Amino acid sequence: METFAQHSGRQAGADQPKSDQLKRAQSKCRKPTRVAWPGSGIRCGGALAFVLAWMLIVPGNAPAQGTKAGAKTDATPPGNVEKGKKIFASHACSGCHGSEGQGATGPRISPPPLPLSGFVRYVRQPVGLMPPFNSEAISDSELADVYAFLKSAAPPQAAPEAAPAGNVENGKKLFTSDGCYECHGFEGQGAQQTSAPTIGPPPLPFEAFAKYVHQPTGSMPPYTAKILPDAELADIYAYLKSIPPPPQPKSIPLLNQ
Amino acid sequence: MKKIPKAKVDRRNFLKGAVAGAASAAVLAASPGLTAASPAETRPTVPPPMLPEAETGIPVRVDVLTENRSGSDFMVDVIKSLGIEYVCSNPGSSFRGLHESVINYGGNKNPEFLTCCHEESAVGMAHGYAKIEGKPLAVFAHGTVGLQHASMAIYNAYCDHVPVYLVIGNIVDETKRMPPVEWDHSVQDAAAMVRGYTKWDDLPMSLQSFAESAVRAYKIATTPPTMPVLLVADAELQENPLTPDANAKLQIPKFYLERPPQGDSGSVAEAARMLVGAENPVLMADRMSHTAAGMQGLIELAEALQAPVIDRAGRMNFPTRHPLNQSERSREVIGEADVILGLEMADFWGSLHSYRDQMYRTSQPITRPGVKLISINSGDLYSKANYQDFQRFTDVDLAMAADAEATLPSLNEAVKRQITPDRKSVFDARGEKLAAAHQEALERNRVLATYAWDASPISTARLCAELWGQIKHEDWSLVSAVTFVSRWPLRLWDFNKHYQYIGAAGGYGVGYGMPASVGAALANRKHGRLSVNIQNDGDMMYAPGVLWTAAHHKIPLLTVMHNNRAYHQEVMQVQVMADRHSRGVNRAWIGTTMTDPNIDFSKLAQSLGMHAEGPISDPKELGPAIRRAVEIVKNGEPALIDVLSQPR
Repeated sequence: METFAQHSGRQAGADQPKSDQLKRAQSKCRKPTRVAWPGSGIRCGGALAFVLAWMLIVPGNAPAQGTKAGAKTDATPPGNVEKGKKIFASHACSGCHGSEGQGATGPRISPPPLPLSGFVRYVRQPVGLMPPFNSEAISDSELADVYAFLKSAAPPQAAPEAAPAGNVENGKKLFTSDGCYECHGFEGQGAQQTSAPTIGPPPLPFEAFAKYVHQPTGSMPPYTAKILPDAELADIYAYLKSIPPPPQPKSIPLLNQ
Repeated sequence: MKKIPKAKVDRRNFLKGAVAGAASAAVLAASPGLTAASPAETRPTVPPPMLPEAETGIPVRVDVLTENRSGSDFMVDVIKSLGIEYVCSNPGSSFRGLHESVINYGGNKNPEFLTCCHEESAVGMAHGYAKIEGKPLAVFAHGTVGLQHASMAIYNAYCDHVPVYLVIGNIVDETKRMPPVEWDHSVQDAAAMVRGYTKWDDLPMSLQSFAESAVRAYKIATTPPTMPVLLVADAELQENPLTPDANAKLQIPKFYLERPPQGDSGSVAEAARMLVGAENPVLMADRMSHTAAGMQGLIELAEALQAPVIDRAGRMNFPTRHPLNQSERSREVIGEADVILGLEMADFWGSLHSYRDQMYRTSQPITRPGVKLISINSGDLYSKANYQDFQRFTDVDLAMAADAEATLPSLNEAVKRQITPDRKSVFDARGEKLAAAHQEALERNRVLATYAWDASPISTARLCAELWGQIKHEDWSLVSAVTFVSRWPLRLWDFNKHYQYIGAAGGYGVGYGMPASVGAALANRKHGRLSVNIQNDGDMMYAPGVLWTAAHHKIPLLTVMHNNRAYHQEVMQVQVMADRHSRGVNRAWIGTTMTDPNIDFSKLAQSLGMHAEGPISDPKELGPAIRRAVEIVKNGEPALIDVLSQPR
């Protein structure tokens, strides 16, 4: 008895799709892949810069502290401040972020909270309500100009305040009882299904972290100071900082299959 | 509404006065409710089935207690003619005739009667089976209480565009109902309660009518958009005697199927022109691939254009490791697209917009202005009003109400005809960039998987990586959805065959997962495939009796529990409300979690006859446990591993 699919002549016969391009890719990557981690290089795709960009785009995707990757992405980007200011206005960035990037309906982005690579990637593929800007709408070099402008437009600031001391053990309890784990996982690893980024260890200074928790710009439910005072948030922050960096993918055979 | 006169036929008392076919037809035609268009949910009282002596050939005598054949035997002949392999059913008196005919007259083979513990499980099994096998199996149920149990699962299949062949028992004639039960189990218009989410239904009035309706129902169910259909088999029609002479007069219609609707040649050529001319075309597929041909067709299209593919994974549409698979970069490639082709998109609008769920809900397009949209969607051929599964309206520039898989061959031909050498060099350059981006996305996911790698409860990334490690060398088929494990299998595993993934419930009705997996495993059994189910704990608890069905009928299926001890989506929903009111979330567990006592799924499975281990909370123990379970499954038995897991 034929199935309705067979009847309609749609049965291809072989289960394996016929694709030379796929076969080439499979043979190329059949062996355990060298993973894009600082210093390792990538043997199947060559993607170090991209991976770093991603890791730094979303809060919590930063590589482990002290890695070469972290140092590399902190390099001062090129960019023309004056050009950047004009682009910031002409591309309507200021409509949401204010004329100096000080924040309006969109968050404050002066100084930019991300390194340039993460900044570019976020603009290309934003997480929240911000519309994406492709490379035709604004080129990478133009974004570098904007980035330079945003760095220059920031008012002189004192050195970032150190995070208040927090109690790691209490922070771990609060991370569960306040429901942070519900979207971010018990170790702050994040989850695609909830659109919750990796936050263990936390990628933002405490001040920015607290601001986001109280007044998130995406779909995260807002935790007001009434239910999550800064003292408790400091404990949570301390817990997230205490989470050790993850192992490198290349050290895990199950992630190279 | 005018009551239709009762026919003076009493099978159980063998009274005289059977209604002649012509007279019955006249009664039917005289009914204003049946001749005029009427709202689906207000169908009028239907007449009892006619039992003409001309058809049964049986003289009416009360002292005759046995019969050689009955109408249900003929019904089984009809069902056999459709090639239906199985009947999933929880037994019920209103279809006792059919039940007995299947197992005795029909030899309990093609169809074989499978014992289910809940009608929702029976339909869920049919749902999963059809997505693997490409054809429906049958479900028998009571017209009242059985169909009520089945209704949510029918809704899922309807939303998911999956055919299910429902045959339900009923006793229309009030004088034939034995008090009290059969009154409670009878209904004037049995199909009414599911008519809003079935494609077609009928109440055949004679055996000949049953045969024609049965073939018609199959044809309708399996013509895209494929959906559930329902036949009412009245108990009178099932149980009345049938003489050889009468049987000889009955004819089973020739079995044939409709060709799937294809896009018209002009629109296909125009779509090809738009795709070839685009600088950044994007191909998106959702419930597209029914067979290997669907995946192959999309590969050909993508490679001809060197265009990115976003697999929305309503089915297994595109190999996960293909260099042009950009599903992990969907927002980025959508944002750059100037032409987007949507193939059987369940929610085209939602794929092209961001949505913010705060007190004031807002949305933004993620596409750039001026993007052109092309849609090929068989769902546009059939819509109903009441249920809102059709999703938000999308501004499409070129729409073909057609089956996408069936249209791909002609679209591929048209595309290849229009590609010039100049365009090809552009495409090749595009393809190289996409291949690099694909590999970068895979590496990115591997990095993300390292977080909480050694955590307990076990991370969903670790769970999926351990599982992949144990099945990757088998001919495997993942028969469960992956949404609640953050899609890790689609992000890490090498999917390259159309049966390796079957999408999700369709209507987001919880309780689909376990029975659909058993049904899909049933279909995979004869192909020798290793069926794998990542099973959510909340979903399991709706009707866990389906584990017994799997054990009883020796349906090989590996189930790995994603046991986060909660209806976790609802935990988060209550959290949203509590935060909105600044009331704290420390009571969000009330009504949403499944602890105190914790459910021991391994004991549950063991009590239903299945090999099971767990709960496992140490990630180091997971791989060996899965390996042991795989051996059980490869020997033809189901097995379950309970895993305490991170929420998502």
